[in-house]
Amino acid sequence: MVYCHPSREAFNAAVLDAALEGLHEGGHEVRVTDLYASGFDPVFSATDHANHLADDVDRADIAGHIEDLRWCESLVLVYPTWWAGQPAMLKGWIDRVWVNGVAWTLPPGRRRVRPLLRSIRRITVVTTHGSSKLINALEGEGGKRMVTRSMRMLCACTCRTHWIAMYTVDTSTELQRAQFLLRVRMRLAA
Amino acid sequence: MRATVVVVHPSPASFTHSCAAAAVRGLQRAGHQVTTLDLYAMGFQPAMSAAEHHAYHGEEPVVDPLVAESVAAVRQAEMLVFVYPTWWSGLPAMLKGWLEKTMVPGVAFVFDGRGKVRPGLQSVRQIVGISSYGSSRTFVAAVNDNGRRTLMRALRLNTGWRTKRLWLPMYSIDSSSVERRSAFVSSVEKAMVAL
Repeated sequence: MVYCHPSREAFNAAVLDAALEGLHEGGHEVRVTDLYASGFDPVFSATDHANHLADDVDRADIAGHIEDLRWCESLVLVYPTWWAGQPAMLKGWIDRVWVNGVAWTLPPGRRRVRPLLRSIRRITVVTTHGSSKLINALEGEGGKRMVTRSMRMLCACTCRTHWIAMYTVDTSTELQRAQFLLRVRMRLAA
Repeated sequence: MRATVVVVHPSPASFTHSCAAAAVRGLQRAGHQVTTLDLYAMGFQPAMSAAEHHAYHGEEPVVDPLVAESVAAVRQAEMLVFVYPTWWSGLPAMLKGWLEKTMVPGVAFVFDGRGKVRPGLQSVRQIVGISSYGSSRTFVAAVNDNGRRTLMRALRLNTGWRTKRLWLPMYSIDSSSVERRSAFVSSVEKAMVAL
C-alpha cells in the first residue's frame, strides 16, 4: 500500500483507513508506505539520471521501497487525482523506485525491457477527484493509462488492475463519502 | 511576444537543456522576450505541502516564493514553452508538481460573476512542448502520451481554446546518434524562429 497525501485530515486519510480495514478483513498481510510522512524525496536527481542505465548501482536510499516491491503480490495506490494524474510526490516514487534492476532490466543488445516485478499479480488504485479541480473532472480517468499499461507491463503477465474512483469529492455529502468508503473496504477485502 | 520557457532536467549538460537553449535562441532571434524557469536550478519543490493544500481553496493559495515567481512569469506570458524528458509516459514529478502548485485558482482559472469557471491565462496564445522519449513513436502512441495530453489539452483549458499548440518530440533517445540529436536541436531553434 502506497499512500500519497500531504494532510492527515483529508478525506484520503479516511480512504486509507477503509482500504486497510478491507485488506485486513481479507486476511492479507499489509505493508504501508506513507510517502509524505516518511519524507520521501520525489525529485529524480542528476545522480539518478547518471545511474539510469547502469548496473550495480548502490540504491541504499530506496532499499526499503525496493524490498517492499519485491515482497508484494498486490500493490494498492491511494491518492487524490490532481491535474489528471498522480500527484507529483507519487509520480516521483515511480520515477525513482521503479528503476533499472528493480522494475525492469534491459539485457545487452535488446531494445525492449524485461519485467522484473513478476510477483505482483494485482494493482489497485483508489483515487478521488475534487470538483473544484476542473481539469481533472474534464479529463476523466487521469493517470489511468500509466498504471494499466506502463506499470502493469513490468508485473506478472496475468497482472490485473482495479480502479476505484470517487468524483466531485468537494461537493459530496457525508452519505456519499460513507458509501465510497464502504465500497473501498468491500473491494479490498475480496 | 513574451515567452516563458520552463526547463526540467537535473543535469545542465542534458539533451533537454540543449533543446531549451536552442528554443531560447530561436525565440530571441525572432524578437521575442524570453523568461526562463529552470525548475531544478531554482530548487523548486514539487510536492504540494499540507499548508499549500490547505491554502488552495482560500484567499491566498500561493505560499512558496518560488511558486510566486512562477506565477508572475506565467501571468505575463503570451507563449508557454515546456522542455522536458518524458518519464513513464508522462511528466517528470518536478514538472507535475510545478503545474499543481502554480496553476491554482486565481491564476489558471477564475470564477466569473456568476460563479462559473473561466480560463485565467487568456493572454497565452501559444503553447509549445518539446520532449524526449526513451520509447519509439509507435510505442508511445500505443501506451499514450500523458505529458502531451496534459500540456496540450488540460493546460489549454486554462488558456482558452484559441491557443495554438506545437509539439516537438524526439523518440528513441537512448539509441539515437549524435547526428540525429543535433539535427533535432537545430530543428527546435528553427521552429521557434518560425513561430
